[in-house]
Amino acid sequence: MDGKEDLFERMAQAVIDGDREACVALAEEVIKRDVDPFEAIEQGFTRGMTTVGDKFATLEYYLPDVMRCAAAVDAGMGVLQPYILKQGERESAGTVVLGTIKGDLHDLGKNIVGTMLRAAGFEVHDLGCDTPLRTFIDKAGEVDADIIGVSAILTTTMAYMPDLLSLLDELGQRGRYRVMVGGAPVTPEYAAEIGADGYGETAADAVEMAKQLMQARRAEQ
Amino acid sequence: MISFWEVIGRSESGPLVDEEAFNWRISEVANQMVEKYDIVYDPEQVVPSDDDMADRLYQAGVDLFLELGVYCRDTGRLMTFTREEVDWALKHAPSSVIYGQGRDVRVMRNRGVEDPTPPFCNLTPVGTPVAEERFVPMVQSYAQEPLADTFSSAFSQTIHGRPIKADTPQEVEAAIWNVIKLREAARAAGRPQIGIHNLISNAEAADATLAAMQPSFGVQSNDGLCIAAIAELKVDYSRIKKVACLRQTGHHKYGLYGPLVGGYAGGVEATAVVHVAYHILGILILEAQWHCGFPLHIHHTCNTTRRLLWLCAATAQALSRNTHLLNTVNTFAAAGPCTEMVIYEVAANAVASTVSGANLDLVAVARNREPERATGMEGRVGAEAGHLTARQGLTRAEANEVVKRLLAEYEDQLPTAPKGKRFDECYDLETIQPMQEYLELYERCKERMTSFGLDYSLL
Repeated sequence: MDGKEDLFERMAQAVIDGDREACVALAEEVIKRDVDPFEAIEQGFTRGMTTVGDKFATLEYYLPDVMRCAAAVDAGMGVLQPYILKQGERESAGTVVLGTIKGDLHDLGKNIVGTMLRAAGFEVHDLGCDTPLRTFIDKAGEVDADIIGVSAILTTTMAYMPDLLSLLDELGQRGRYRVMVGGAPVTPEYAAEIGADGYGETAADAVEMAKQLMQARRAEQ
Repeated sequence: MISFWEVIGRSESGPLVDEEAFNWRISEVANQMVEKYDIVYDPEQVVPSDDDMADRLYQAGVDLFLELGVYCRDTGRLMTFTREEVDWALKHAPSSVIYGQGRDVRVMRNRGVEDPTPPFCNLTPVGTPVAEERFVPMVQSYAQEPLADTFSSAFSQTIHGRPIKADTPQEVEAAIWNVIKLREAARAAGRPQIGIHNLISNAEAADATLAAMQPSFGVQSNDGLCIAAIAELKVDYSRIKKVACLRQTGHHKYGLYGPLVGGYAGGVEATAVVHVAYHILGILILEAQWHCGFPLHIHHTCNTTRRLLWLCAATAQALSRNTHLLNTVNTFAAAGPCTEMVIYEVAANAVASTVSGANLDLVAVARNREPERATGMEGRVGAEAGHLTARQGLTRAEANEVVKRLLAEYEDQLPTAPKGKRFDECYDLETIQPMQEYLELYERCKERMTSFGLDYSLL
């Protein structure tokens, strides 16, 4: 039998290939060989998904490929999940409440971000599009979110982003969550101007920013 | 014949489909069509000259439309059509549209591949955000361009000092303000009756948009609105409400389609197939009189990359060779105003699209997202390049060489394109004329583009 490193390599490759069956089989092998599932996820599935993200950035992969790879990871994670729970609570990458803001029916960019965040180990609660401000806050409270991610593709809906921040302030909850913004009309300057905690121009940027926000959040705790 | 209300009925009676499953089907069917019809992107043939492939691409788009249908988000149902219905709609679609009144009348006509008739040029900042006080000067800079056949709007960041928010009473006020100010800009440009192809950029909601369509606000009977489809191949009732209204008021309406290369369809060939299909969605569901395509690169948010230029050219040829539809290409450039890059990008798309039979929408720059970064000068650059392509009678092969020379000037800078200068840095706000710096930059670029094969002495 080959070593652990080889197993991780095959897991990463199965993700890159979008091979759902292989991901499931390799996850089962992780359990059978009594390999630490956390390490297997980090070194196998997550590493594979990072490569998928890189390939998407250069358009070697397209959105359906990314979706296929993410679905393969989900299938493998389904096998590992009970063992993770058995070994004790793994520190999650973070919990994100994500949605396109009120009045805006565009969700493609938000969906890509959601897919990439999930693949990076975040727990994502996707509220869909046309989401009222209060729904973001209520959901964040319900799931004890770390991050609220808000997308807008219209300039008229982007204008609600500062309102979300001030509503959080008004409710005394601004410090409780990190707020990330993104979408076609949103610029880094705008994000800074309204006092958002993070901004991502691309889905990969958004994942990176979410990781940074989580690091900072944990450092504060 | 299929009536508008029968079409709408299909959104209530078609099969229920999960939206996620529909997204997956797009890629699957588009790629089947690419294979079946042997659609191949050749990076050296940025402007392809293959008539047979153009015709195959057209057939692939029609077949995809017939097989896939259109997803209605409000009902979660699939709207499907027969080949006879598609043929009927294509046969009866307009082949010309008249904009403007009095001496500002202009006629948009169907163009053929390598057509020596200059393209119809809609000049527009494509909703670029701008400060309220600079809204009129910015849009005037487009309306006053001699080659502008129509013009349209920027997006004012505030109205009476307050931000515009979707679905609020203020959005209605913003839409009305938008229309009034556009006509004011037309008058300031000395073209009081120039057509406005898209009256409202300040509002999206149907109630706000339609509230502003009043003659007392300066709306002419043949001004119009764009009605966008949702990526990919989806519609919703909010947009179709506008169709229901405009088909009774008689204002023009055009379909707006922005398929994403790298998105649900997949690669450039599959996205080209989907883009052709959008035009059929436009005539059947939106009753579009003409069609504005802005296919985009999913990461670079522009259509001046090599692949996107191919897509714009190939789909324009497919449509121009096989239909009499009025198809236009809306250039999206990565770089912003007063940069060499934006001049070469805009010219490249204008040449590729014009020689392929399209009319032109000019132009979104700085990836259409940087506030204050859009000027009439970019519209001039595209319109002049388009006119020269037609007037010189460039063939596709000749245009391909010109476009490849232009690409060589900027292709490697696309991921890091400069966002350029603000409107108030490019134009004198008193005279609304371009600053000397921009004029000189354009003159230098024109010299270079002359060496690539564009004969500016013909203007």
